[in-house]
Amino acid sequence: MHLTVRHLAKAYGLLWALKDVSLDLPPGEVVALLGPNGAGKTTLLKLLAGMISPTGGEILLDGSNLSQSPNERRSAIGFLAPGEHLYENLTARENLTFFASLYKKRRSPGQVDAVLDEVGLQQRSKEYAAALSNGMKCRLSIAKWKLLEPELLLLDEPYGVLDGSGVDLLESFLKDRGTQGSVTIMASHHVARVLSLCTRAVILHQGKLTFDEARQQPWDSFTRAYGEFLPHGESWTS
Amino acid sequence: MDFLNQISLLLKKDLLLELRRRESLLLMFFFGTLLLFVFHFSFDLVPERVAEMAPGLLWLAFLFTGTLGLAQLFEGERGNHCLDALLLSPMDRGALFLAKTGFNFILMVLVEIVVIPLFWILFNLSSWDVVPYLFVITLLGTIGFCVLGTLLSAVTLKARARELLLPLVLFPLMIPVILATIRCMEAILRAGELGDAVPWLRLLVGFDVIFLTTGVLIFDRVIEG
Repeated sequence: MHLTVRHLAKAYGLLWALKDVSLDLPPGEVVALLGPNGAGKTTLLKLLAGMISPTGGEILLDGSNLSQSPNERRSAIGFLAPGEHLYENLTARENLTFFASLYKKRRSPGQVDAVLDEVGLQQRSKEYAAALSNGMKCRLSIAKWKLLEPELLLLDEPYGVLDGSGVDLLESFLKDRGTQGSVTIMASHHVARVLSLCTRAVILHQGKLTFDEARQQPWDSFTRAYGEFLPHGESWTS
Repeated sequence: MDFLNQISLLLKKDLLLELRRRESLLLMFFFGTLLLFVFHFSFDLVPERVAEMAPGLLWLAFLFTGTLGLAQLFEGERGNHCLDALLLSPMDRGALFLAKTGFNFILMVLVEIVVIPLFWILFNLSSWDVVPYLFVITLLGTIGFCVLGTLLSAVTLKARARELLLPLVLFPLMIPVILATIRCMEAILRAGELGDAVPWLRLLVGFDVIFLTTGVLIFDRVIEG
């Protein structure tokens, strides 16, 4: 999956949430999408997911325009919002089976079991999503996208209320995706965490792209660019 | 085939959720029968006035009961942003429209199966032989109600006080269906056949076909709007 974003803009009424954002993300890229509250991160993720239409610009998935692509193209895009997008009155297993069918992915009961086992929900697979704790719902969200294997995965504050082992689970999932040639974009305020996983960082501020660089070591340009959004005297590594 | 599979998948999911929550159907049954009892105590339906009054009273019950169902139609999707999850998927929006229409239709038919005979029993009506014909006409009217109702339910999905707004928008647009259904039922109750109500039947079928097709074609814009 090669993702290209050209001059993307989104306005809500008279308010521009996103202005002239361009990105070029080759396969295997794991992008940290950072910025202060209201910078336009979630708007960008929703545009990339096709949940909202852009006011201007275009999004190309492997060269084809997302807005003109058939519905089938959406099966290549995943949106992980921890604990959301799950039916409360379906069991953990039914949720996975339903979405696998909806995404036209043939998954055997054994595969569903295996994914539930990986996220530590095998014992609770027959419980309704409503009966799961918030942390477990986050795990179920991860299980969903592990099963559906989208080529482009968008994550909005993926750490949610995950505990230590949940964070490990998420991070190993994201690392695996990077090696498989999929594109991952995650918006989060856990800067140190997402930077340890990413191959590129992008900073949005007031709807504009103010920083876009491949990961370096050391990364002074990032430290300077992100420093202005941190409380006085604080570093993103702390 | 794939389109039908999607409809079947979404419909099964909605029926399973309803089976577990038992919110819409129980509410509709209760409200439908309650209305019949109110009518029973309010009106003296003598045999000479059956053709004149029964269709209107029955449709009043169906309209109010159906509106309750419509208000709950997307409730399963509202929690946890499940509607977003559906819209993110490669599912055809037309399939979602038909599945929701089908689900609402099934609920209403289940209510009608109880309400129509109960109406006949409560009002002590003897003309049981016309009930199957009335039921067929009611089904056509129900399709029109569900098709338009599902479309408008999606339109008002993000509106504040949607439970109040929905009937305000829906009822005026339902006038052709209500009129056509009532005229057809009236003709059957008077003469045992459609007779001069055939043009009303054509209007009813035409309404169903036009709005069903329109719904499938425009639902993506409606639901994403």
